[in-house]
Amino acid sequence: MIGAGGSPFMYLEFGDIVIYFSPYTLSLFLLALVFTVLVIASRPERQLDIAFGADAYTTKEISLPEMRFRRFMAIACGLASMGAMVTGDVFDFCLFTSLVGICNVGIVAAVRSRHVQNAAYQYGLVALAGTVPLFGGAAIVAATTGTLSLIELSKTVLPAAPAVAKGFLVLGVMGEGMAPFYAAKAEMFRAPGAPYVIMCSLSSLLIFLRVIEVVLQM
Amino acid sequence: MIPYLLFATFFGLLLLGIHRKLIARIQRRPGPPIWQEILHALKFSFKSTWIPATASEVLFVSVVLIAIGIWTAAFFVLITGGSLLIIFAIYMLHKIVEHGFGLSSGSPYGKFGGVRSVISAASEIPLFVSVSAVAIFTGSLQISDIIAYQAEAGPLLFTIPLAAVALYLVILSKFPSSPFAIVESKEIVSGYKTEHFGVWRAGLEICNGLKSYVLLLTFTMVFIGSLPFLGILLTMLLLVASIAFVCALCPMLSPFDSVTIQTIITGIMLIYVMYLGVFG
Repeated sequence: MIGAGGSPFMYLEFGDIVIYFSPYTLSLFLLALVFTVLVIASRPERQLDIAFGADAYTTKEISLPEMRFRRFMAIACGLASMGAMVTGDVFDFCLFTSLVGICNVGIVAAVRSRHVQNAAYQYGLVALAGTVPLFGGAAIVAATTGTLSLIELSKTVLPAAPAVAKGFLVLGVMGEGMAPFYAAKAEMFRAPGAPYVIMCSLSSLLIFLRVIEVVLQM
Repeated sequence: MIPYLLFATFFGLLLLGIHRKLIARIQRRPGPPIWQEILHALKFSFKSTWIPATASEVLFVSVVLIAIGIWTAAFFVLITGGSLLIIFAIYMLHKIVEHGFGLSSGSPYGKFGGVRSVISAASEIPLFVSVSAVAIFTGSLQISDIIAYQAEAGPLLFTIPLAAVALYLVILSKFPSSPFAIVESKEIVSGYKTEHFGVWRAGLEICNGLKSYVLLLTFTMVFIGSLPFLGILLTMLLLVASIAFVCALCPMLSPFDSVTIQTIITGIMLIYVMYLGVFG
């Protein structure tokens, strides 16, 4: 389906790698950009924990080195998400998606909480497994159509990408944190320090939204 | 466009007020006046406003503007006949708004709302199923094309009724007091919006009004097609009445039950779309 997210109105060519902006990809790109700017500009929240059974609560402070590391990973996650939103190449999309998975683990890696670390480890395993169908799907697309360019793939002169390749791409992206593989991500959300943890969720949603357009394009 | 945007916001708030009133009458309570949600939005606009000491200040404020911004964008996409995929994207990104509201304050209640918002991610998949079914039948995701298709072939409501049910369930899950409204249930105070008061809450009310209008208008345009303006408003009113009946008669589910039921619905809808793809 050509122009599933509206007709592209701007192309940026970097050799044979083409980035394109359609109303859909631009909307997603702008949202990733807005949240990345928020990550840069915001100080993290200080999460309150209620001590049940007592009239008390505690505040979780985030140390400066931890904040710096998590902010760096959140910015990297935002940049990878932005790349995945506008790229016109299936392989690059897979690459950015994998990078998002790595950054998501990195965002909570510095948190000193056993639950959060366990969740991040489990999420990392699922995301790692998700890269197999993800790159497998891209490989099948290249093998059957001879190109990985979404602009070329959207033209009807090429043979259509097989449904199994599309399914693999969606499955790979779901492994990066969508239902039903998101249980670990909910636990990661227990980590203090918004807006950094929000990037974990935002990046997964954005990538899921983009892969829908990618498979409709092929 | 701006007057229509204002009308949409206030009419959406009025629909939410009617929703509350109907629930109350079904449960044999007097209930608030139907313009209560409009009064809420106005009242909060003039109440004292603060940012909690534990909050991430920039995010705490920005998320209100983002919430209004994304639904305003959805409204313009809808009335200009743009891509249904963008509406779908904005609906899904509303979840990020819920996360932002919940996590930015540092409050445990907001945090629980945010975490529940993450675990209820299965509720978005029926929307994807609905969009897929529409794409299979009409061959386009442009709302203008979908309306033109229905002008020739009749309303999609009768052609792909289960897809309409999927979108109906998505709208239901976003209405207050719905069985699936676990993100703002009372055991966690007000969930993700607990700490947003004053003008921030007024912004959230405006967002809710606009969101309700956009979602109901999307249903009308995508599954019924072109109607006169009064017909659209009447259809939206009927949808709200039916949602109010469901909300009044069904208890709010526990988070586990809510996610389980949504996942089962998602499975059924995926099988339906696969059936449509093969035999449709």
